Parts: sequence; structure tokens; C-alpha cells
Amino acid sequence: MESGTVLHSDVFRLQPRARAASAVFPLGLGVAGVHEVCEASFGDIAALTGFAIAAAKQKAGTVVWVSQRKIEMDHGRVLQGGVRRLNRAKMPILEVHTRKLTDTLWAIEEAIRSSAVSLVVADVEAVEFTASRRLVLASSRHGVPVILLQPYTCEGSTAASARWRVSARPSAPNRFDPRAPGNPRWRARLERCRTAPHLAGHVFDLELNHETLSLTVVSGLATDTADTREVAGDRPDIRHARA
Amino acid sequence: MTDQISDTPAPEAPFALVEAGPHGLSVVSANAAALSEGVVPDLRFTDAKARCPGLVSEEIDRAADARTLAALGHWMVRFTPIVAIDGEDGLMAETTGCAHLHCGEAGMMDAIAARLTKSGIVCQMAMASTPGAASALARAAPGRKLEPGEERAGLAGLPVGTLRLSGAARTVLRRFGLTRIGQLYGIDRKALARRFRSREMADAVLLRLDQALGQRIEPLSPLRPQPAHAVRLNCPEPISTSEAIGLGLERLVENLCDELAGLGQGARGFSLLAFRADGGVAEARIALAQPARTGAHILRLFDEKIDRIDPGFGIDCLVLEAHRVGPMQMGTPALSGDLAAQDTDPVALAALADRITARLGVGVVRVAHSYESYLPERAERLKPFEGELPRPPLPAPGTGPRPVRIFAQPEQVKVLAEVPDGPPQRFVWRRVTRRVVRADGPERISPEWWRHTAMPETVASPSGTNRTWLTPKLDPRADADLIGKIRADLEASCETVPTRNLPRARDYYRVEDAEGRRYWLFRKGLYGDGRGGAPEWFIHGLFA
Repeated sequence: MESGTVLHSDVFRLQPRARAASAVFPLGLGVAGVHEVCEASFGDIAALTGFAIAAAKQKAGTVVWVSQRKIEMDHGRVLQGGVRRLNRAKMPILEVHTRKLTDTLWAIEEAIRSSAVSLVVADVEAVEFTASRRLVLASSRHGVPVILLQPYTCEGSTAASARWRVSARPSAPNRFDPRAPGNPRWRARLERCRTAPHLAGHVFDLELNHETLSLTVVSGLATDTADTREVAGDRPDIRHARA
Repeated sequence: MTDQISDTPAPEAPFALVEAGPHGLSVVSANAAALSEGVVPDLRFTDAKARCPGLVSEEIDRAADARTLAALGHWMVRFTPIVAIDGEDGLMAETTGCAHLHCGEAGMMDAIAARLTKSGIVCQMAMASTPGAASALARAAPGRKLEPGEERAGLAGLPVGTLRLSGAARTVLRRFGLTRIGQLYGIDRKALARRFRSREMADAVLLRLDQALGQRIEPLSPLRPQPAHAVRLNCPEPISTSEAIGLGLERLVENLCDELAGLGQGARGFSLLAFRADGGVAEARIALAQPARTGAHILRLFDEKIDRIDPGFGIDCLVLEAHRVGPMQMGTPALSGDLAAQDTDPVALAALADRITARLGVGVVRVAHSYESYLPERAERLKPFEGELPRPPLPAPGTGPRPVRIFAQPEQVKVLAEVPDGPPQRFVWRRVTRRVVRADGPERISPEWWRHTAMPETVASPSGTNRTWLTPKLDPRADADLIGKIRADLEASCETVPTRNLPRARDYYRVEDAEGRRYWLFRKGLYGDGRGGAPEWFIHGLFA
């Protein structure tokens, strides 16, 4: 695409314009821009995977899931039978298994530029500023949203549109069996957001209804009955934001 | 065609390759100077030393010889696409349809001999219409060429040993005084077969004779898979830069794609062979997810591979081959994504997969296929992407919840407070103790009995005779007592798989710890199932 020639697909395929991210939840997650979804502490990656899949409002099309071997070894690979129970959209998923960080970033960028993909999700190590800037530029040029699932080591500034920090929370009470886990709940803190800077620091306590597959915001007080203590790994600034 | 690689510093000095055998060192092969002094193959090394005191010797390295011969065979592909190894010291080339490119068969032999001699390789060559005859001629009467139908007369005078027979068969024939191939013609086949100790040996001699005379077919096993299409570019001057290779490749791709387009076909594999002027060949290959013949796409995939081609002292011939040819999906692309019948452009997706495969390796791009299995790790199989997205695997109806992440290998956990027939109260995973607050389950996943009941070897025979033992059709939902009884019967009749070696059932629990993290634990085995010791606990996945 870098060559000077005009491609047939560029002329005749009506390229969808990159949609502007709206200022309401989920702030364009899975619709536009590059979103970083990070662990609050080690071991939250399953929670953030669930959050990203459930919250992403993606278009129809193929999803490319790039997973780096290191993350896959630590936290397991994505099971599609489990993914289907979190999101109503039945997108085919093309998996790309990479080893090195550079290869992973290259594969993400290649997928963005391929015009065959509606969403790119990546299990990847912490991405530095320059690399994230490349991804943001490619994503805005080709209108393909990117979700980076990142470990807790993701810190510092990057060029991403938004950064979510997700931790698991005790699940909702199960109506049929009080001793069984109920609907999954997560706490997603919007650490930074370029499209809606005023929302930065906002904490969303979310619950996924496993029947309707809809995300609802639950009150921070209405936690479950089984365990009401604070979530471990909670940060003082989160408490401050809720107060 | 036979070739002997001579890399001795002084060709006129007597030289022999030796090998340690059961009776000490013996000569394997010798050069002309040594042969003239009476050093023949199979001679003891001490005798050889006595006959020729100045004999220089070295131990034979058969592995290196085989490698060199294979490399030479790959280089011979520049003359004809089908090249096979013949024994330990020969190459066989199918020249049908290739000879006219070198001004006839004699011209082709001259061209090959000239190239090999230039590279310092001594060779003996012969041409015939059957592999057996060509092999015999090349070893006993090099330089001859037999027309089709002349094999009987042409081979009559050659020694029997050139028929690619075993040493024992040659000894038997020699004892009967049969030293020339022509002597075998007149003997009645049954009478000839009776002279050998075993039927196999007799069959081998008759087979080799028939193959040499063209009465039985002998397929060659080529070194390289035969390409469906190939185009070549002879460079007037050896090239050595990757830009020049790129330019040559552009012309080759254009020609090959035209050829494929004329047939309405595309190929799923392309390989570029670069023949170096000093002998040797470098290869770059790409694999595609679905048949393609778009020049720009193929060139782009080759882009990264060209740099890795080692030009040596220069490349004088480039060949581009198309493998795995198939019909192409032809259709007009939709003007707009909204008008397209499918959400995904399959061509663009395949192109993406090709680019990733070309850079990161084969098998990196995968899709999950559903597979009929009880076990969750087998129910969803990752296979390399083949240009078609399968239906997304859905969990089978009736199965319990499935985690969002699954470990390739279940990790063992240490259970601190175990409750019989229930989830643990606490467990240690990755050195952290986790207190279970809530749990759900169990979902029992039984082992797949059809994978682990082996047939008793004494009863089952490959031909199916004497078989008294049939595979029972068991329904896991049927009566448990009946299954138990049948299983007991099976195990009584089948000693090869004792009960304790059978796989164990798994009880899966969905548990949540105090921090709200949700795990998929399973207990491997039941208490008192007689299949090993106490049940063990594993973690298999993580819930969202």
C-alpha cells in the first residue's frame, strides 16, 4: 500500500470512515482507536479478557487474535467456546501465534492494514510509546480498532486512545444456588482517555448478565453477600475516585 | 550416471577409501592409480598395502557422501525436474521432454558432462530407456546410449553385478557360472528361481532383470516433489545481488502467472531455485492459504526470502516452480463492504495469512475447528488456516460452562482442605494459597473409552481371520451396571490394558476465590476407582 500506484480496492471499495469514539461507555472499545486493557495485578488477565470481549461493540467481520507465546504460557490460550458465552456476536476468529514482541507488533499492524479484518485483539507484553504510536496511526488510517490485552507491568505513557485497568470482583449472588458463583463482575478503571479526558479516573463496576449478555453498571455498594471486603490490589486512588 | 568425487591433492598418487569391517579394515573404493596396482574394492587393507606400499588411505564417511550426492542431485534439477538417487554413488535423471533443450540426447549428455567436469567431478554417464539398463550401462559401459528396444542386445555383454543385486545373489550367480546378463536370458525363469536359496532372492534377481529389460515398470522416487508448472530464466552473466534476483523473479512470476491464468488455475506453493555457477542450489519457498496467481502478492511474499538466498560466486539460472495447483475462486469483488454477501473479504484475509506465514513461519496462523470429543482440550482443535474460516466452534449442548482461557497443559494444584466429592476449601496454585468462597459443580467428563480399549493381539489379526472379538457399541447414557459388566468382561478378555492404566474420569468445578478470580479446577480420578492412587487436582482454565 506504500507504493505510489492507486489500488483498485482503494478506489472502488467504499472505505468506512473511522468512527468517532463516543463519550459514553465503552468509549469506543472495539469500535475505534487503540485501547489498552491492563491487569490491575498479576492474574487478572482472564477478567480483562472477559471484560474486553463483553464490552467491545464490534462490527461484523473477522477478528484477528494475535497472541504472544509468553502470555499464552502464563495465562493460557483463548478458548472460543468460552468467548462465545460472553458476546452475542458470532465472529470468526483467526488466531496468530507469535513468539517475539516485535513479531507480535508487526502482525498486529499487518492485520490492521489488510482491509480484511474488523477488529484486532492482541495478548501482548507491555508496549512502549513509539510502537503504540505506530499502531494508533495505522488504526486511524484504516479504521480498524485494536484492543491490546496487557499485563500489569503496563505503565507509563503511550499513544493509545484509552487505558483500562481491570480487576476481578466477587461475582453477583446466584439466585438458584447461594454457594455457586453468579454473573461475573469486573471493576474497570479508565486510567486515561484521549477522546474524553474528563472521564479519566472513572471507575466502572460492571456485571455481565449471562442470559442477555448485556453489561450493566452495578453500584459499588451492592456487592455480593459472600465477601464484602475490598478487592485485593485495589489502589488508593481508586478509592479516592469512588469517594 | 555414476560419479566419483575426487578431491585428492595429487590425482596420480594411489589413493583408497577404507572402512572398518568385522575382519578389520578393507578397501571400499580406489582411484585409477591404485586400481592399476591391483588395489580392488573388498580387498583387505593389509593386502592392499602389500600390493601398493605407497597407498594413501582415508576412512570413508558415508553420511557426508550421501549429503554431497543429494546436493548434487538437487543441482541436477536444472537439467530435468525428476532426479533420483541411484545407490550410493549414482544419480538417475528422467530426461523425457528435456533433451531437445540441449540439442538432443547426446548434446544433453555432453552438456551435463561438461558442467560436472568443470566443477571437478569425475563422472560416467549412460542413457537408456529403462532405469535398470541406464544404471548398468553407466557402471559397465559408460558413454553408451541405447535406443528403446535395444536393451536386450545392449545389456547382454555386461556383467551380472551391474544389475543392482545383493552380494549373496551375485555370489550364487557366479557359482553357477552366470557372469553376463545375456546368460540369464536363455534360462527358464522357474529353473532360474529354483537355484536360489530363498524365494525373495530369486524374486529380486528376476525383478531387476525385468526392470532392466523394461518388462516391469520401475518408478523413480524423485528427490524433489515434481512441480505442476515451472519457468526458468538463464542469466547471460552470473548475478549476485538481491536486486538482480528480484528483477529476475519479477519476470519469472509474470510468466508463471500468465501460464496459470491461461489454465484458470492458481497455486498454493511457489519455490524459487537459484542455481549457482559453481554448483549448488539455493531455494526459497512460500506457502499460500489458498490458490493464488496475483503477481504482486507473490512477489511481496518472496521479498523477505530473497535476502536469505546465498548467491555464492554468482547465480546463473533461476527456476520458479508452482506446487499444489488448484482451481481458483473467481468472482467480482463487491463495490462496498455493505453490499458484500460475506462480512469478510476471503481473498484479503488469505493474503494477510500468507504475509504472516511468509514472515513468521508455517503454522503460525491458525483457526479453531470443533472436534467430537468429551475432553475440552480436544474438543477445540487449532489447525493451520487453509483459506477458509470454519464455523466457529460452539460448546456441545449439555456441556457445562467453559472458561475464557484454557491452559495447554493442566497445572497441578496442591489442595489443602479436601472435601470428599466436593470442591476443595483451599488450594495452592503457583505458590499462592487461594481460599475458595463459592463453587459450582461437578461436571463429570469421563475418559473416551473408545480410545483406550485395545484389541487383544492374540485374537485380532491383520487379515481379519480368527477374529472373535468385536468392538462393542456402548452408549455412555445406558445402564451403568450393564456398562460395568461389559467392561469387566472386556478387561477379563483383554490383558493388554489393565484397569490401573486406563485414563481416569475428571470432575470439573468452577470455583471463585476471595479476590473474585474464577478458576476451572478438576479432580482427576474418583476415590476408589482402582486406576492409580489418590485423585489429584489440576487447574485447567480461568473464567472471566
